[in-house]
Amino acid sequence: MTEMMIETRNLTKKYRGTRAVDALNLAIPRGEIYGFLGPNGAGKTTTIRMLLGLIKPDSGVVQIFGQDLRKDRLRILRRVGSLVEYPSYYGHLNAIENLETSRRILNVPKSRIDEVLHTVGLTKDAKRHVKGYSLGMKQRLGIASALLGSPELLILDEPTNGLDPSGILEIRELIKRMPQEQGITVLVSSHLLSEVEQMASSVGIVNQGRMIFQDTIPNLQRKAGSEIHIALSDAETAMITARELGCFPRLDQGKLVFKGIDNDQIARLVTALVDARHSIYRVEERRKSLEDLFLTMTGGGSSDAASADDTIASGAPRAAGLRREAAQ
Amino acid sequence: MTTWIAALRSERIKLGRSQIMLLTIIDPVLCAGVGLLSTVDNGEGAWFGLLLVMTLLHAMFFLPMMAGIFSAFVCRYEHAGGGWKQMMSLPVSRSALYLSKLLVVTGALALSQLLFFAAVLGVGLLKGFDLSQVPWNLFAVRMLGGFAACLPLAALQLFVSAMWSSFAAPLVLNMIFTVPNILVANSADFAPYYPWVQPMLVMMQAGGEYDFGGFTLPLLNLMITVGGSFAVFAAAGLAYFGRKPV
Ligand SMILES: Nc1ncnc2c1ncn2[C@@H]1O[C@H](COP(=O)(O)OP(=O)(O)OP(=O)(O)O)[C@@H](O)[C@H]1O
Ligand SMILES: [Mg+2]
Repeated sequence: MTEMMIETRNLTKKYRGTRAVDALNLAIPRGEIYGFLGPNGAGKTTTIRMLLGLIKPDSGVVQIFGQDLRKDRLRILRRVGSLVEYPSYYGHLNAIENLETSRRILNVPKSRIDEVLHTVGLTKDAKRHVKGYSLGMKQRLGIASALLGSPELLILDEPTNGLDPSGILEIRELIKRMPQEQGITVLVSSHLLSEVEQMASSVGIVNQGRMIFQDTIPNLQRKAGSEIHIALSDAETAMITARELGCFPRLDQGKLVFKGIDNDQIARLVTALVDARHSIYRVEERRKSLEDLFLTMTGGGSSDAASADDTIASGAPRAAGLRREAAQ
Repeated sequence: MTTWIAALRSERIKLGRSQIMLLTIIDPVLCAGVGLLSTVDNGEGAWFGLLLVMTLLHAMFFLPMMAGIFSAFVCRYEHAGGGWKQMMSLPVSRSALYLSKLLVVTGALALSQLLFFAAVLGVGLLKGFDLSQVPWNLFAVRMLGGFAACLPLAALQLFVSAMWSSFAAPLVLNMIFTVPNILVANSADFAPYYPWVQPMLVMMQAGGEYDFGGFTLPLLNLMITVGGSFAVFAAAGLAYFGRKPV
């Protein structure tokens, strides 16, 4: 039986009658990197604020480490590091002094300050006033202060917000190391599935305050499904050949598109098409991009046709990457 | 208990090397100027006369203003840098956080009061008054009483400063209510309940026929009102802060 680090039941928060978070059931087992996904305004930050006791839910229960947040808030918070929405900072203090304000309350050794500054790569700028920091540097300071108390659970709300590509990569690698090296469980929110996909082991997708999908990343990828595209000389007559073999493709820009077709069928189909003197230009597997699945689930639009175009334009490397992962 | 001390020590860091404490010096310096220019002469009751002369500016203006400024100041950086949510995500109770801020404010006011006291003694010595004639008991009552009378206002201003995310708004409010102090002091019915005038009422009773309006009230009654209003404002602030959504 896996131990749940975070568990919510029917967590609900209303703002002026509308439910920003609506009967949310989170379940995050120990050692996971849990990607908490949703479009802008989905209720991610509101949920996280409730997890930390910053705001009170209208109804529902939050349990962290199996303890009730209402009863054991301080004992829970001692073991949680967090970064909510924007990094908090004292502009008139330098990074060390900023961390010192928290360190005195967390009661950890002074050496932790140097350690976390090193971890986020701020050692060089540690003695500068934080008001002169760039957004990305403030974000790093925020992550450093989340790590300061050597937490067992890290709650990071859009931690890569404002970071440059190398900063994003760095933080992502940092987060990925957490469970392996220190057994830390991580909840990381984002509105970019592509980002979460690269670090998370499981995801919860929220939309308009409701959880619409919660599972492991491989299961999400399975759900995305794949299609076989065959480009050839005469698609119209090839359709007839395919139907005779019991396959029912759709026609898309002079290509045949097959859903849910297995290797045997493809082999037989290709043989038949060659026999019927079709010139076959390419046979390719297209995995619907997760981003599209995400958009479809969250009602952000995107049809199959658009997804096919997208694959050509930019999704191809990802599709290849997914195929590799799926093969493992 | 240890986390309460930790919260206070954390507040200490946030004050940083800020110039805010300069205020506690400006006040006694200006009041000393008033004292030096005054015509209080050496002789019977000279020390008390000097105290009254110097107290006017200090108790009527500086103490209430400083109560407002210190309160706004200890909330300023949290409002500006999103520090509330960071503080409140730490393993420390909200009441400990709030009370440590209140303690910083009262500490700064105590320091001001102390420096003012030193200024009175200094001016008296410069004027050649006899140190052995200082009415220590009376001075002690005025100084401690005046400090205590700042506490309701400090609690009220801290409440407002924690609630309003603007640094200036609580200061403007404080200014608006400080200005009519001299008028409010005339009313024996109303003045004791007006937090901005309480320090002045306690510190400026002259005794006998010189008193008027709010200054005629017995000190004990005044202090009971002061204690009661402090309890009310501090409790209201704590209750608000405990539920403040961040
Ligand atoms: N203090 C508040 N008062 C009123 N409405 C609020 C408040 N906080 C959040 N909301 C509303 O709750 C909903 C969820 O907001 P939330 O900040 O949780 O979204 P989010 O998922 O974090 O979005 P983003 O990706 O943009 O950060 C939004 O519709 C927002 O307008
Ligand atoms: Mg958000």
